Amino acid sequence: MEMKKFILKRGIEIVIIFFVILTTLFLLFHMAPGDPISRMIDPTMNPEDAQQLISELGLDQPVWTQYLYYLKNFFTGHFGVSFHYGRPVLEIIGKRLPNTIILFTSSIILSALVGIFMGKIAAWHKGKKTDTFMTVGALVLHTLFLPWLALIFIWVFAYKVGWFPLTGIISAEVWTNPNAGFLLKTLDVLHHMALPLFTLFVIHFGSYLLIMRSSMLETLREDYILTARAKGLEEKTVRNHHAAPNAALPVITSIGLSLAFSISGGAITETVFTWPGIGRELVFSVSNSDYPLAQASFLLIALIVLLSNLVVDVLYAYVDPRIRY
Amino acid sequence: MSEAIAKISTRKKTPATSYRTERLKENWHVFRESLLGKLGLILLSIFALMALCSFIPPLIDPMYNPMSGVDPLVSHSVGPSFRHWLGTDFIGRDIFSQLLGGARIAFMVGISAAFMSIFIGTIIGMVAGYAGKTVDSLLMRFADMIMVMPTLLVVLILSSLFGQLNIWTIVLLIALFRWPGVSRVIRAQTLSLKQRPFIDAARVAGASHFRIIFKHITPNVLPLALLYMTFRVTSAIIIEAALAFLGFGDPGTVSWGMMLQWVWKTGNMFQAPYWLLPPGICISLITLSFYMLGRAMDEVLDPRLRSVKQMR
Amino acid sequence: MALLEVENLSIGYETRAGFSLAVEGVSFSLEKGKSIGFVGESGCGKTTIGMGLMRLLPDNGSISGGRILFEGKNLLELSDEEMRKIRWKEIAMIFQAAMNALNPVHRVDEQIAEAILTHEPDLERSEVMGRVRELLDLVEIPANRMRDYPHQFSGGMKQRAVIAMALACRPPLIIADEPTTALDVIVQDQILKEIKVIQEELNIAVVFISHDIAVVAEVCDDLGIMYAGQLIEYGCKEEVFGAPLHPYTKALLSSYFALEGDREALLASPEARSFQIDRASPGCRYCTHCEAADKVCRLQPPEWVEISSVHHVLCPHCK
Repeated sequence: MEMKKFILKRGIEIVIIFFVILTTLFLLFHMAPGDPISRMIDPTMNPEDAQQLISELGLDQPVWTQYLYYLKNFFTGHFGVSFHYGRPVLEIIGKRLPNTIILFTSSIILSALVGIFMGKIAAWHKGKKTDTFMTVGALVLHTLFLPWLALIFIWVFAYKVGWFPLTGIISAEVWTNPNAGFLLKTLDVLHHMALPLFTLFVIHFGSYLLIMRSSMLETLREDYILTARAKGLEEKTVRNHHAAPNAALPVITSIGLSLAFSISGGAITETVFTWPGIGRELVFSVSNSDYPLAQASFLLIALIVLLSNLVVDVLYAYVDPRIRY
Repeated sequence: MSEAIAKISTRKKTPATSYRTERLKENWHVFRESLLGKLGLILLSIFALMALCSFIPPLIDPMYNPMSGVDPLVSHSVGPSFRHWLGTDFIGRDIFSQLLGGARIAFMVGISAAFMSIFIGTIIGMVAGYAGKTVDSLLMRFADMIMVMPTLLVVLILSSLFGQLNIWTIVLLIALFRWPGVSRVIRAQTLSLKQRPFIDAARVAGASHFRIIFKHITPNVLPLALLYMTFRVTSAIIIEAALAFLGFGDPGTVSWGMMLQWVWKTGNMFQAPYWLLPPGICISLITLSFYMLGRAMDEVLDPRLRSVKQMR
Repeated sequence: MALLEVENLSIGYETRAGFSLAVEGVSFSLEKGKSIGFVGESGCGKTTIGMGLMRLLPDNGSISGGRILFEGKNLLELSDEEMRKIRWKEIAMIFQAAMNALNPVHRVDEQIAEAILTHEPDLERSEVMGRVRELLDLVEIPANRMRDYPHQFSGGMKQRAVIAMALACRPPLIIADEPTTALDVIVQDQILKEIKVIQEELNIAVVFISHDIAVVAEVCDDLGIMYAGQLIEYGCKEEVFGAPLHPYTKALLSSYFALEGDREALLASPEARSFQIDRASPGCRYCTHCEAADKVCRLQPPEWVEISSVHHVLCPHCK
């Protein structure tokens, strides 16, 4: 029951933060140089459609009313029409959202699991070659510049050895083939996802490894580890069953703290690998001055970060009984 | 007997060294023995040297100017040669001088943004920790909100509203979104300092809050703030590089990120490793060296992390 | 044959300054079902003895000499695997309640069950849980708190849970290291009584370690007084407590004032001060504070003097 209250409290906090973001963006929109209307309405649109869109979005109203329209439109999904695509923005971001979610969640889960696993091993072999190798490796990988690493991977694995496709999420041949089954299509997507996922994984797992390692070293000094050994448990059991669950808690916290950074990285990766997600859409639309799409993409990303934070908090509360009870 | 007295009186008298000096000497010893610290410092010196030398190539010959250098003999990207140590980019500009210029930009951006964010973060952290209750709560909530925002993407959306940003605006924006991390730590430190008797003593003596914060709390909080500066420098450099890479940097500055953008966007990525590799290696190495420096300073601050050599 | 016979045990730690002995030449024996208490100031080596008996010293600690004979076998000659089997099943430990002796992320009953299952892996889960419930009953923890996590328990309850866990495999020997420190006096009293009852009913031998001589005197049959890593007085409770001979023992006892008796006695007794252990000096370790110290004490290591079959003192002056 405590959990429900906790989720509710955090949920309200998120709503408040999101409101602040929405409002700030609205204010900036009006303070920025240039004509606000031309930012939302494509100048090449024909005048009648333009006028209809203007009244739909409430752009001809005084500022206060505009704000209310803005909020209402946001919650009803009226984000305007994209200049570049000529389609409603909602339609576009709707298509992009799942792609980002797949890539983002899998990369975080993969990095976290591998980082925790390897960090545990590194701590256990502290001072020996395995540990030094892992720690130095994690450090070096973690400090590599993400866009550069992405380019290198494309160059080596996609261009030079041709194991992976250069761009995109799907291969036209597979998806236009009427005989291609679900499995084949899924494998195709995974094939395309492999490099971007690997890139994100390489950049992020290092920090989780290092945190788990130091957390593990501290946990192993705790009294309940002495109790576990005194009980006659095997070292393996002590390490995996008693130390690791406690040591993993700070790692979960750090995942939460680095979510904003992770999503920026996700946006860069999507752009370089032409993975059609929200991050790439944001970058793309800003370059094209496609403001309605840019604004909606940004807001959606902010929402993703906030909700991911909630998920991580809930996960932490679930894993640490001191919070739950 | 007199010999013994003579020996004693000619023995060098150790001056009464102040506590601060002793601590500094000890800290320097710990730092010096740190392997990471030494490596980090060496790497950083190399980059600093690069930054300082960035003025030299254009003086030798205007064709070496990173932005506007034009080599009459070269008009596209060629590999390394004696004339151009790292080759040229797609319009014949010398890559090596671009690399040196990039070092200068990296230090400039990194240090200014870090300094600004530490400045803001320290003040907010101290005020929050010292004032407590509502002010603290409000400030920390505000910090949380900022921390949730992905800095890179925020700068992106702002540039969509305000047009192409120049380098100093970028630095300012980075600072404005990276201070929350520092403020949390400073706030915690201030809270624990607040309990100490010397603060009470100052208050009893009639010092105003202002004075207490600046004269008493600040000096004790500074070492921690400076430690965090090393981390802020790296994140500032990375954010600027990522922005430049995506095409949103200041077009008038040649940063390493900008170099990567050019090699990528001009389709030279696959054919020009001499152009693709150096900027990325530099960004990664400078991040690594600041991290190592930060770790060494961590060892100074937290004795538990020290190795046996540092203990002696 | 005694259950536990310790002969000339020496334990030390690797420090920056080299190998430093924390326990030196300690010998004692313990019969089945009896209890012995080790008392001394912080740093005298009593906790190290407890850890040494279970061979649970930290990485920089090692046993440098002597024998630990448990049921006739020398524990120091056993392999790690053999020692692991002995731990908890034959010798269990009760830790200090204020310590984080219980893992915060596992439920209390699971942790006790784990102790049982490690040594009797073929038991059915329901049987194990039944035994856990019995154990908790024994220490008066209600069954509806079984599934709680350690942080939900009070200090006294945690200590009782730790005691219940130590009894899980019905070991013949339990080492209790400061089991009542950091508890308030009333709870302390309850726990001590419970320990005594359990010890007598289940015929368990106890090695009781504490800095509080009053606590030890209440529960134990024999007493060992430790100073600077050495056992300096050893014997049955009545003799050591009632007629202490070593100057240090006398000083230790005098730091507790009786509610009745001569007021002069209060003022006359010396205080037991904290000390710097001067291990380099060849003589008696206590001589710098001892009133009766003479040249012989400072130059020669003291010999054991047998006052009676159940009372020994490490001091040539005490006869």
